[in-house]
Parts: sequence; structure tokens; C-alpha cells
Amino acid sequence: MIETFDIETLAGDRSDAPTRWRFNRAWLGLVPFVSFLVLFLIIPAIGVMGKGFHNDAGQWSLSTMRLALTKEKAAFLNSARTSLVTALLGVIMGTLIAYAAATAKRPRWLRSLVSSFSGVAANMGGVILAFAFLSLLGRQGIGTKVLKSGGYTLYNGHFELSKPRGLGTVYLYFQIPLMVLVTLPAIDGLKQSWREATASLGGSTWTYWRRVGIPVLAPSLLGGFLLLFANAFSAFATAAALGANNFVPTKISFYFQGDNTGKSAIPYALASWMVILMAVSMAGYLVLRKWAERWRA
Amino acid sequence: MASVKPLRHRLGRLGPNLVLIIAALYFLSPLLSMARFALQNVLVIDLGWHNLFSKWSLAGMREPFKQPAAATTLLLSAKLAVATVLLTQLLLIPTALFVHVRLPNARGFVEFLTLLPYMVPPIALVAGVIGVIRPNAGWFIRSNYSLVPFYVVLALPFTYRAIDAGIRAIDVRTLIDASRSLGAGWLTTLGRALLPNLKTAIISSSFLTTTVVLGELTMSQVLLKRTFPQFTFEYGRQNGKGGVALSLLTLVISTALLGLLLVLTRSRGGKRAGAGVSALLQEPTTATNKPLSRN
Repeated sequence: MIETFDIETLAGDRSDAPTRWRFNRAWLGLVPFVSFLVLFLIIPAIGVMGKGFHNDAGQWSLSTMRLALTKEKAAFLNSARTSLVTALLGVIMGTLIAYAAATAKRPRWLRSLVSSFSGVAANMGGVILAFAFLSLLGRQGIGTKVLKSGGYTLYNGHFELSKPRGLGTVYLYFQIPLMVLVTLPAIDGLKQSWREATASLGGSTWTYWRRVGIPVLAPSLLGGFLLLFANAFSAFATAAALGANNFVPTKISFYFQGDNTGKSAIPYALASWMVILMAVSMAGYLVLRKWAERWRA
Repeated sequence: MASVKPLRHRLGRLGPNLVLIIAALYFLSPLLSMARFALQNVLVIDLGWHNLFSKWSLAGMREPFKQPAAATTLLLSAKLAVATVLLTQLLLIPTALFVHVRLPNARGFVEFLTLLPYMVPPIALVAGVIGVIRPNAGWFIRSNYSLVPFYVVLALPFTYRAIDAGIRAIDVRTLIDASRSLGAGWLTTLGRALLPNLKTAIISSSFLTTTVVLGELTMSQVLLKRTFPQFTFEYGRQNGKGGVALSLLTLVISTALLGLLLVLTRSRGGKRAGAGVSALLQEPTTATNKPLSRN
């Protein structure tokens, strides 16, 4: 495909006004890439949705999707609760950290340290994160012992790393840094002159935040919330490595183990629910991000 | 007024500084406790304040490697990483160059395509592999190397962004015109004019791919492939200390790769530098960077 470009066509491409549509043969150059994605991403994704939206008799139906919801209600509730709470806490903590780092004048390296570390931590996950927290907050964990010497028994019957509260504690390790990455540019976009304008009109710091700061940040915060929700809901490896079996992603893998293989359509319906949730959250995130960028001149 | 302001300012920093200190504690403590588990030759149950500084050694790191599976799984993961890097470059460099030179109109479309892996998280992708691909191409899924194209897909948002940023940083058209006018063929142009200028982008995307392959558990676990992360997971179930040691090792390798990347790209100077690292470190902006794949 590469041998077809020469200077005439390059010039031609640029001067061709797209007034009337005609097939541009150059699009054929995308065939290898697109067919790769079709084969290894789109066909599996459509296959999952197809199986999720069919009943046992092979007809289009919503019954499997409904059945998955009722049958795995506990997993959905656990996943939803963990994702909502960690997304909310992630938004709050991430924004506070980003604000603290963005406004700090000294030391100078602080800001780049925070953003670099966030990049690494937001991408940390799976086995590494699970074992890191087992060593900290497992039954013999170092943090557990420190808490105990401080008079607090972590394992008082409600806490397990494989249950929503424990898993949430672990998820915050990648949720908060992800929010820092999302919200740092938004906080940089807050202009000093807005604060001065508020002050000169007699507004207090509180007025500034209520009438200017928060409204300007709102789309970024809401978009970040959606992104974090999707991120936690779809996280499989960390949950699996911690033995958190009653969550949607780990349930899907459970159905594929041993005798269950291929016999039930439930895992496909669960995966379809997940894809739908992802698509909705990501679409919302992208729309909100466009909106948030209006303020960044 | 002038004497009041500094005091107010200092008090104003109290809150933010407190936030940063608490955050540092939360983010460092798992890493520190991991180091104690992995590198102190003390029974986990005995770890406490009194032996904080005693018996630090690498023995805990060597222990898991007495298992024959450690070496074989590490070798498999290394091979998968190399294959994934090669396939990624083979697929993305021509595509990204082609889009840049011949089809600038398609840039938005291609960027959208590189976003798609976020909509289909690994666990849903693997469900599709089991539901659709395995029944039709079982021979393919039985091979360990069937993981490679899926790893390419999982790393795509990072890798495409790194390569695309590298291409944008150089003047591709001028390089092509110059090389062609000197009588070079297309292969020579690619090999001697374009690729050397894209070295940083190639290195960046390769390192990013490697860290993805080293951390990936979802596909290998569900498809029952014995990769290094899978071995870490299995071994850690029987021997928590060993699991922590292997995780720490993986973390150190990944961080070293990223650190090396930072140094390499920085010394090459200028705007181009940021390109690769920013694919991982920056906000999920224009070209989409979100770490769904690894958690």
C-alpha cells in the first residue's frame, strides 16, 4: 500500500475540496488494521452481545439479560457498591491531591512527582496490587499489626480484602491516581484572574468556589466519576487475585471454569451488561470532557 | 496587611500539605510492606517493629525460582512480550504513517478505533474469545501464542498514542520527499529515513507493551495459559511471601523499564521526548489513555 503515494497525489489530496463525495481509494490502506481489530476485538465483542441477547431456544430475547441480573444480583450489588463508593472517594481525594499539588509552590519537583507517580499507580493493578495489599492489610499484614498496636482490630468480623469494603480500599490505589490525572489539567485551567475578579466584586473564597470554581470543574469531576466507575466495575485481575469471587467480573470467569464451560449463556449476558455499562460511561465521559475543555483557552 | 498575608498564606497551605502527607502514607505503605515481606528473611508472623532492620536479604526473591515453573513461565511471558511488541510495530507503524501521510481525514476514525478496547474490558473480550473464537478456531486458542493478538489489542490505546505522537513530532512529508528525490525506494525511505527518526516512539511503545504483557492476568487466567503473572498468582496462593516477592520483582522490572524510558526520551530532547511517556503518564486526553486493561 505504501508504494502508491507520490508527490502528485499528495498535492491532489490536499487541494481536493470535499464538496462531493467520492470513494477515496486511500481508505484501503486501513484494511490490515481494521480487519485485525474486527477479528480480535469486534467479533468477540459482538459475539458476546449476541449470546447475551438470545434465549435458550436461539431467539432474540431479553430473558437471558434479565436472568443474569436476578441470578447474580449479589455480584451486581457488590460491584455497583464498590464502584460507586470508590469512584466517589476517588473523585474527592484525587481532586484534593491534584489541587494540593497544582497550587504548591515548593518544592518544585512535587507536581511532576505527583503526576508521574499517578501515571504508574493508575496503571498498577492485578496481581501486584493484590499482593501489595495482602502484605499490608492481610490477616498477617504489616498495616494490620500496626493498627492492632494502635488499639484497632481490623479483622473485627466485617473486613475481608475479598469483600466490598476491603476490595474498595485496594481499588482506591488506582482510582485516586486516575482522578489526579484527569483533574490536574482542569485545575490548571482555573485562572487566577477569576479569583481576583470575584474578590474585587466583594466575593469571599467561599463565593469563588461556589459560584466559579466548582461550576467550572463540574464537568471534569462528573466525567472523572464516570471514568472511575467504569474502571472499578470492569477490574478483574485485582479482584481475582484477592479471591473476591462475588463480583461481576470474577463471576464471569467462574462460569468458564470446569463443568460450566459453554453450557450457560449467563456469563455472556454478564459480559454484555458490562460492555453496555462501559459504553455508556465512556460516552458520558467523552461528552463531559469536550464540555470541560471549553474553559481551557 | 502586608504582615498578615504571609501568616494567612501559611495557614492556607496547612490543609493541602496535610492532604499530600496522608496521600503519601497511603500510597507508600503497601510498597514498603511489600518490601518487608519479600526482602526480610523473617517469618511473616514475626514481622514487627523490633526486627524492622534485621535480616534483609534477597533469599526471599530466590525462593520462588526453585520451582521449575518459574523459569518456564517467565520465558513464556518474555516470548509473548517480544511477539506482542513485533506485531504491534508491524501493525501500527505502517497504519499510523499511512494515516498521517495519505489519510489525515481518517485520524479521528482511527483514534476512535484505538478507544474501543476500553469499551470491551479484558474479561468481556475473553468471554467473546471463549464464546465465538474457540468453537470455530480451537487450534488457534490452544496455542500459547494466541494471546499475542489480544495483548496487542489491550495495549493498543497506549501504543498507538505513543507512535502517533512520535510521527507528529517529525516532518514525515519532508523526509519522504527528500529521500525519494535522492532516488531511494520506499523500503529504503522507510528503513533509513523514517524508522531512525521514530526510534524513540518505537522504544516507548515497546516498553509500554512489555509492561502490559508482564501485568496481564485476565486472559491468561481464563484461557488457562501459564504466563508469569499466572504463576505469581498460583504460587502466591500457597506461599504468600513468595507471591509478594514475585510481585515486587515484576513491579521493579516494570518501573525500571518506565524509568529507562523516561531517561532515554529525555536525553533525546525536546517535545518528542514527552511523547512516549505521556502516553502512560498523562490525562486520558486526546488519544485516550485509560488503564482499564490491567486492573
